[in-house]
Amino acid sequence: MDGYTGTILYVDLSRGSINPKPFPEGYKRLYIGGRGLGVRLLSDLVDPGTDPDSDANVLVFATGPLTGSIMPLGSRYDVITKSPLTGTVTSANSGGFFGPTMKRAGFDAVVFLGRAADPVYLSLKEDTAELRDAAPLKGMTTTGTTGAIQEDLGDPKARVSCIGPAGENRCRFASIMNEGTRAAGRGGVGAVMGGKNLKAVAVSGEGTIEPADIAAAREARDEIRKKIEENPITGKGLHNYGTSVLVNIINESHILPTRNYQSAYFPQAEALSGETQKEKIVKRGKGCFGCLVACGRETEEAGEKGEGPEYETTWAFGPDLGISDLSVVTSANHLCNELGLDTISTGATIACAMEMSEKGYIKEQIKWGDGPAVLDLVRKIATRDGIGDELAEGSFRFASKYGHPELSMSVKKQELPAYDPRGLQGHGLEYATSVRGGDHVYGYMIAPEVLGSPQKLDPFTDEGKAAWTKTFQDLTAAIDASGLCLFTSFAIGAPEYARMVSAVTGMNLDAGELLKIGERIWNLQRMFNIRAGFSDSDDTLPVRLLTEPLHEGAPKDRVWVREPLLSQYYQLRGWDEKGVPTPEKLQELGIA
Amino acid sequence: MKVQVKVFSSLQELSEKEVNLDLPDGATVSDVLYEMTRRSPGLSREILGPSGMPADHITILLNGRNIRHLAGPLTGLADGDLIAIFPPSGGG
Repeated sequence: MDGYTGTILYVDLSRGSINPKPFPEGYKRLYIGGRGLGVRLLSDLVDPGTDPDSDANVLVFATGPLTGSIMPLGSRYDVITKSPLTGTVTSANSGGFFGPTMKRAGFDAVVFLGRAADPVYLSLKEDTAELRDAAPLKGMTTTGTTGAIQEDLGDPKARVSCIGPAGENRCRFASIMNEGTRAAGRGGVGAVMGGKNLKAVAVSGEGTIEPADIAAAREARDEIRKKIEENPITGKGLHNYGTSVLVNIINESHILPTRNYQSAYFPQAEALSGETQKEKIVKRGKGCFGCLVACGRETEEAGEKGEGPEYETTWAFGPDLGISDLSVVTSANHLCNELGLDTISTGATIACAMEMSEKGYIKEQIKWGDGPAVLDLVRKIATRDGIGDELAEGSFRFASKYGHPELSMSVKKQELPAYDPRGLQGHGLEYATSVRGGDHVYGYMIAPEVLGSPQKLDPFTDEGKAAWTKTFQDLTAAIDASGLCLFTSFAIGAPEYARMVSAVTGMNLDAGELLKIGERIWNLQRMFNIRAGFSDSDDTLPVRLLTEPLHEGAPKDRVWVREPLLSQYYQLRGWDEKGVPTPEKLQELGIA
Repeated sequence: MKVQVKVFSSLQELSEKEVNLDLPDGATVSDVLYEMTRRSPGLSREILGPSGMPADHITILLNGRNIRHLAGPLTGLADGDLIAIFPPSGGG
């Protein structure tokens, strides 16, 4: 075996037909799998001009060759589609145990086409696939759906990836949740699933995922495990405090967006930090399949058990809304997981509404720091009840409706996450250029600019940032294609990923070819977006971040400066001055 | 001069979370580290490298700015400064 099952399942929901096809051999070396495979299949099947809400859009669940393999942190799968929030191609990545189990059931990827006439879910078991009635699951929460499907199948061990009410109601930032608490969060992948009348995918399997070269794979695994265990971030920091350990360092750096990015310092941040979470709500750490880090947090609030909040969620329901009550943040997070909502876009859209209310642009009174109102709005968004129906469209469409799109802190209509780019020139470039819209995990420049990993860069300068951003974006695309967790990148680099992919697939890649694959994926996404109508004018940040300087702390008086950084970036990427990949670049990458 | 020092996450298991120090004029960040490790010896192995300089993986912010982008441990201090010390952190 070579890390692949060799099978991609095509499910035409309109016809109710299910067809397994072989994984195209040529795609392995060009795209590896996971995000790369999904983006390639989407580009093959969907005209970029397609309305993402139409039946012609497709939804791909894709694993990589390292998913479920013996390599550490091989837990990931990606969901790829044309986003109803951004109109770009998007991928949303999730861990847990669903991805590895989907492979053990015999499938590298599942492609959903068309739309079912009535609600269905797909059950995959050991090389068999069946569409089953999901009408009884309508309106159910994600954990409710998971339990009901396990009962329906008589299989309490089945792993379930599903939507909640938000996805059914086609909220533009609905997530897909697996095992109730792990999220393929961003870009509204859950809305596309809901539009297809597909409630869930359930997987069971005991198959094995053998590497091509078992001796080389074991040797690589042992050495890389050691690096992850010995790295102070993956071996200690993330394990001890989870991702919310970032709250204090980001706040003390005065780059923690507060009240819809009106400032970047939240005086009560300590009350929400990873340290406080550990003391007050965390029961134990939790890891995904093959994990050594266990950054997940099992938490309990007012007798309600769940996981998280993670850092971005802590921010979205905390400082961004002026909330310092950890119980509210925890409850909002649990609620989003149950209803199937992306926590970043949900919190940030409510933050936009709060500022609109503060400025008198909408008649509703939604006040900063009002926890009960926030929890009520989360429910209304998921059910599209009252103002929730407008908020379910995302902050950009909501703010535009009332004539103030500038109050949407979004890029390409996707809400920005928890780092103010006015104090982070490189990360601002990632926000502006990310091929899935406002995003932090397609090129996490926070690592070098704040955390000093793999080396320390001055966050205020643009020197070298175009090259760093490009490298991070390309490497991340390759990691997402492999099926490994991105957190491995705190401890290892391109040579180690190439070594693991080579040992498992037998393809014998070096670091240069791995990065080239990442670059190919990035350019394919860029070309999809250009053909969908995006241009260089979309590669920018909200006007606030370009013109309103921060007013305190180390980044005082700074804004994000677009040029010459963006032009340098285009040049390094081999794109023309309008940000279009040149014919030579496309030919070099084999995607002309 | 008076400066405030805050330590975070696992360092809070080894030291008080917040300390106010009274330092002579001309004091630098390295004086703060010396004083903090004198008060809490357990901090030494976490925040200092073999040479006695701040360990590579430690982040020290002076009023929110990483000292590596200033003058490192020799960065001079002023009355009212805030020094924040973080062990390796990651997430996202």
